[in-house]
Amino acid sequence: MSASFSLPRIRTLAMATVTQLLRMKIMAFLLVFCVIVVAAGFAFPVMNPEQQLKLLKDVSLGALQLFSIVIAVCATALLLPRDLEDRTLYTILAKPVPRHEYLLGKLLGVLILIGAGLVLMDIAFSGVLWLRQSLVLAQSVAALQQEGTATPEAVAQLKEFVGRQGLTWNLHLGVVAIFFKAAVVTALTLMISCFASSTLFTIIIAFLVTILGHGQGLIRDYFLTGHAGVVKKLLSALLAVVTPDMGVFDVVDNVINGETVTPGAFGFMAAIACTYLAGYAVVSHLLFVEKEL
Amino acid sequence: MSAESPQPPAVTVENLTKVFKAGLGKAAFTAVRDLSLTVNDGEVYGLIGPNGCGKSTTMKAILGLVTPTSGRTAVFGRPSTRVESRSEVGFLPENPYFYKHLNGLETLLFYGRLCSMSGKELKDRAREMLALTGLEDAADRRVAGYSKGMLQRLGLAQALLHRPRLVVLDEPTAGVDPAGSRKIRDLILGFKEQGITVLVTSHLLEQMQEVCDRVGIMAHGRMVREGRLDELIAVENETELVLADASPELLAEIRALVESRGHGARVVRSGHPRTTLEKLFLEVADQ
Ligand SMILES: Nc1ncnc2c1ncn2[C@@H]1O[C@H](COP(=O)(O)OP(=O)(O)OP(=O)(O)O)[C@@H](O)[C@H]1O
Ligand SMILES: [Mg+2]
Repeated sequence: MSASFSLPRIRTLAMATVTQLLRMKIMAFLLVFCVIVVAAGFAFPVMNPEQQLKLLKDVSLGALQLFSIVIAVCATALLLPRDLEDRTLYTILAKPVPRHEYLLGKLLGVLILIGAGLVLMDIAFSGVLWLRQSLVLAQSVAALQQEGTATPEAVAQLKEFVGRQGLTWNLHLGVVAIFFKAAVVTALTLMISCFASSTLFTIIIAFLVTILGHGQGLIRDYFLTGHAGVVKKLLSALLAVVTPDMGVFDVVDNVINGETVTPGAFGFMAAIACTYLAGYAVVSHLLFVEKEL
Repeated sequence: MSAESPQPPAVTVENLTKVFKAGLGKAAFTAVRDLSLTVNDGEVYGLIGPNGCGKSTTMKAILGLVTPTSGRTAVFGRPSTRVESRSEVGFLPENPYFYKHLNGLETLLFYGRLCSMSGKELKDRAREMLALTGLEDAADRRVAGYSKGMLQRLGLAQALLHRPRLVVLDEPTAGVDPAGSRKIRDLILGFKEQGITVLVTSHLLEQMQEVCDRVGIMAHGRMVREGRLDELIAVENETELVLADASPELLAEIRALVESRGHGARVVRSGHPRTTLEKLFLEVADQ
């Protein structure tokens, strides 16, 4: 394995991937997301203020997570088979382009796209949440005033309470955690598409592994503490090894409940994400080098 | 040969065998069997043979796109498995296709960047290549809308973009109109003048006969005939007598002379005493 890395070349490949995906109109989901967020923000005015904000966060971050994983799987699964079927791979790899640079370019391209999509969705979501939060605060203060209990302390307390349920930096950390998760899924899907014979197969397996990965903690516990038979134990061990531990990145619920993500926990997530990315990238490369074109 | 030129040959293929593994339970297929060939620096080498005889597979092996089952291939002495071997090669695959979402110029810029070209130099070179291949008018149209011959021309432009010392062309004239195909022939003749080595396959044997210095004829994955074109198509037991401005009377006299004093020699025909590459091809393919 030659260890040449040409950043301009990887950038060229990554940008080509981004434009390729953009022209597939893949960003249309952004619009769908905005509709969902606005609907979640303003469609249920009957609930109490706290519930309203929580619902908005629940729905939005849930949609964010779902979209990012779906994009990660579908976009990535399309890339290699496309290039292979269209035979664009021949002309690309006939240039002095090492195969690992090609793979890295594809991976980076998808990550850039997902990252940009998440930033846009985060902005839209933050905007709606902030609007909603100001509205809720204004309503509650008005209600207090009507009751005649709008003492400065009561208003301050209300402000603090709504503020905690509203827009915080912590929420953005939740979005970054979602990005980590999507990045791991992207690398995983790329690895699968390096040996899969069809796009559909890649998509199905990638989703399956992702879903199993969310329950990896359970599978591991079952293996370590359960009293199951040898076969079941081996199977669970195998599953625990081949699936990524998605539970690591599940901080969204905590974030929604207003709990802060500590720098330590965040660093841990980042480290795990990088480890998975590197691991999958290396295995992808080993598979791709051997691949018949 | 090696005494004259210390430089390694442009292409070496040694005992190349390529077996394509089929799925479970299906028989593997041997596309190329124990093939050896050498393309010397500066020559035009033509690879011909019936459909499915392994020409494209051989080219892909030379470019490092398929891994040989056994044997070795090298370009300018560098093994094809190494990335550096591709820095001085331009490859036009058969039926080339490109990213649909790019236009012609963007496509060339993309490939140029992959070859570490950039800036104004790249832009100028890309325009030059578009002009050379007659695609100036289509430069800002999306590749998705290109016709077969236009794709072929773009493929050629892409292969020549980085001024390679070796060009590998897999059926460069497929789908190209007669004028374009003549132009490609002239282009190859131009390469020869510039000292650029060419490895080419084509089913247009008349054109191959015009451009090739040497040809290899493949069948069923094997090399069945190889040699200098003029030797291959010369007929061994015949002798050529080239006369200029010979009058019909003189020719009749010569004929009479051969008949009376020829000791069994006879005039087979007058005119061009050579077989054509096409005849040779059919003969070999029939075997
Ligand atoms: N990826 C592959 N998997 C399986 N078989 C293959 C593969 N690529 C080529 N072959 C087989 O190898 C043989 C040689 O193919 P190749 O493309 O080299 O032929 P060719 O000489 O270029 O033919 P043509 O004149 O039609 O272009 C064919 O029988 C083909 O079916
Ligand atoms: Mg072919």
